[in-house]
Amino acid sequence: MSMTTEAVLGRQARWANIRRETGRALAAAIIALGVAFVIILLTSKAPLEAFNVLLTAPISRPRTIGLWIDDVAKLTITGLAFSLVFQARQFSMGVQGQVYVGGLAAAYIALSPIGATWLGIPLGVFCAMIAGGFYGFLPGIAKAKLGANEIVSSLMLNYIAIELCNYLVRTQLVPPGSGVLTTNDFPATAVFPALVAGTRIDIGLIFAIVAVLAVWFALYRTAWGLKLRLVGHNAQFAEYSGIRSTVIMVSAMTVAGALGGLLGAMFVQGQSYGKLTILFEGGLAFEGILIAIVARSRPLAVPVVALFYGYLRQGAQLMNIRTDVPSEVIGVVTAIIILLVASSFSMPGRKFFARLLGRDTTPAAAMEAGK
Amino acid sequence: MIELFMTVFSATFFVTVVRTSTPLLLSTLGGLVADLSGALNVALEGMMLVGCLTAVIVSVFAPWYIAVLAAIAAGALLGAVMAFFHLRLKADIILVGFAINIFAAGGTVFALTLATGGDKGTSINLPSKAIPALDLSFLGVIPGIGHTLVQFLSGHSILSWVAAFLVFAIWYFLYRTPWGLWLRGVGEYPAAPEAAGIPVNAIRAWSLLVSGGLAALGGAQLAMFNYVGFTRDMTAGRGFIALGAVLLGARHPVGALLAALLFGFFEALAVVLPGLFNWIPAELIRMIPFIVTVLALVLFSYRALRARQLRTLSKI
Repeated sequence: MSMTTEAVLGRQARWANIRRETGRALAAAIIALGVAFVIILLTSKAPLEAFNVLLTAPISRPRTIGLWIDDVAKLTITGLAFSLVFQARQFSMGVQGQVYVGGLAAAYIALSPIGATWLGIPLGVFCAMIAGGFYGFLPGIAKAKLGANEIVSSLMLNYIAIELCNYLVRTQLVPPGSGVLTTNDFPATAVFPALVAGTRIDIGLIFAIVAVLAVWFALYRTAWGLKLRLVGHNAQFAEYSGIRSTVIMVSAMTVAGALGGLLGAMFVQGQSYGKLTILFEGGLAFEGILIAIVARSRPLAVPVVALFYGYLRQGAQLMNIRTDVPSEVIGVVTAIIILLVASSFSMPGRKFFARLLGRDTTPAAAMEAGK
Repeated sequence: MIELFMTVFSATFFVTVVRTSTPLLLSTLGGLVADLSGALNVALEGMMLVGCLTAVIVSVFAPWYIAVLAAIAAGALLGAVMAFFHLRLKADIILVGFAINIFAAGGTVFALTLATGGDKGTSINLPSKAIPALDLSFLGVIPGIGHTLVQFLSGHSILSWVAAFLVFAIWYFLYRTPWGLWLRGVGEYPAAPEAAGIPVNAIRAWSLLVSGGLAALGGAQLAMFNYVGFTRDMTAGRGFIALGAVLLGARHPVGALLAALLFGFFEALAVVLPGLFNWIPAELIRMIPFIVTVLALVLFSYRALRARQLRTLSKI
C-alpha cells in the first residue's frame, strides 16, 4: 500500500510541528527551572539539597510514586476540561467550582444508603458529572443568550461553590456536634478501589485514560468536534457556514463542566480522601490552564504534560516538607512556563542555528506559534 | 428588619461602604483603562495581591506613602510584564493575565515566608503601618449641618479621596484630552489610529502599566487600611469582581464608581450582617458579593442585549 504524496508531506509536517512544540515546551521548562534554581539559591540555607529533593524525591519511594501518579490522573482531567473550552475559544475558568459541586454530589450519594451498595461508585461519579455539567452550563448559557462575559461569571461561580461546600459540610454532611469540617469516611463500596495496593493509585487513573480517549474521539472523529474546532478557529465563519456557534459553545462548556464534576468525584471518592473535607481541591483545578496551554489543547498531549508537571508539583510539595523552601515557589515556575509557551518566544539560539544550517526561519512557523 | 434599616442608613455604615468600595473602585478604574485600550486585564486580582504584599513589607521599613508608591510601582511592573508578553511576544492577553495571577498567588506566599521567617499564612509578626484617615472634624464648626458632615466625611482613608479624585481625573483624561481619544480609539478600532500614525502598541502598553498601578493601589488600601497586614489570598476575588464592575459600569469612569459602590455596599452588608442576624450562616453571607456580581452581570448583559436589539429594530 503506497501513501499519496500529500499524506506523506502531511505526516512530515505534523511530526515537525510536534518536534517544534516539544522543543519549545522543554526550553520553557528549563528556563523556568533555572529561575526557580536561582530563587532557591538566593533564599535557602541548603539550596542544593532543596533542588535535589525537587527533582528526585517523587520517584524515591513507591508511596511518592503513588502520590505523583494520582496527581497526574487529576491534572489530566482538569487539563482536558480546559483544553475543551480553549479549543472552542471560550475562557471559562469554572473547573474549580465544578470540582466542588461534583465532589458534593458524589459525597451525598456516598453517604446515603446507596453508597453502601455496589451503586456507590457508578452513581456517585454519574451524579458528580451531572452536577459539574450543570455548573459548566450556567456561564455558557449566560454567554450564549445574553452575552455575559464567561470569565467573570465562571470565576464568581467558583467562589460561590467553595462557600456552598463549606456551608453544606458544616451544616448537613458532618455528624452533628462534632465540630470538624470533614465528613465521616465513605463506606468502602463508595471509595475507588486501589489499582496498586498501598498507594493512592486507584481507578481514577482509568477514568483519566478513558477521558483522554473520549475527548480525543469527540474532538477529532465526530461532527460535533469538527464544529467545535471551527467555532474556536473563527466563530463568524462557522456561523456563516451554518453552524450554530452558540449551541457548540454551550455544549463545550457543559462537557468540560462534566469533566470538572468527574474530577470532584475523583477527589472525594478516591483513595486520597475517601471523604469530603472542605477546600479539598487545594488549587489543583487552575493548574489545568498550564496543562492545556503547554499541550496546545491537544487531548493526547494532555497526559504527557500532566506527567511532567505532576512530577514537578509533587517534587515541590516534598521539598516543602523536607527542606526550608516553601512549595509555593512552583507558582513562579508555572507562571513563567505559561508566559513562555503562550507567547511566540522561540528557543534561544534557534535563529542562529537555522542561519548556520542555511535554512530560512519560516515566518509561517512564527505565525502559527503566535496564535 | 428595622435594625437592618437603621444600620444601613447610618453614617457608620456609609463610612464602611466607602471603605469596602475603595479597593474595588481603584481596581475597577485600572480594569477600565486597560479595557478601553482593548486589553482585557484579567490579572487585576494578582496585581492587587502583589500590591497588598508590597505595601505591607515596605511599610515595615518606610513611611506609609513610600509603601503606597512601592505598591503602585510593583503593580505597574506587572503591567509592563503583561505588555511585553502580550504586545511584543504576541501571547494571548487572557493567558498572560492568568499567568500573572498564578505568579501572584504563589509568589506572595513565597515572599511572605521569607519576610516573616517561615509564617505562610499572615504577616501578623511584621509591624506594618496603616494609611492615615483624613480627619475633617474642623467641619463641625459649621452651624447646622456641621455635625452630620463630620460624621459622613471624616475618617475616610486618604486613598478614598484619591480614588474619588481619580474618577474625575480619568474621566477628564479619557474624554477631554487627545491622549484619551487615542486610547479609546486604539480600543475601538486599532487600524484607524494606526493609519493616523498613532503608536498603538505604546498606548496599549502604557494603559496596562497604569492599570497595574491602579489595581495595586487598591491592594495597598486593602492591606493598609481595610485590614492592616497581609494574609494569604486576602484579595479573595476582589480583582475578579472589579473585572465584572468594569463591564457593569458600561466602561465609563462614573459607571465604574457606581458599580464599585454597589459591590462595596454588599460587601459592607456582609460585614454588618453577622452582628445583626446571627442565624444567617457565615458562608452564605460571604457568598453575597459573588452572587450579586453574577446577577448584576447577567441583568446588565440582558439590558445591553435588549438595547442592541431595539437599535437594530429601529433601523429597519
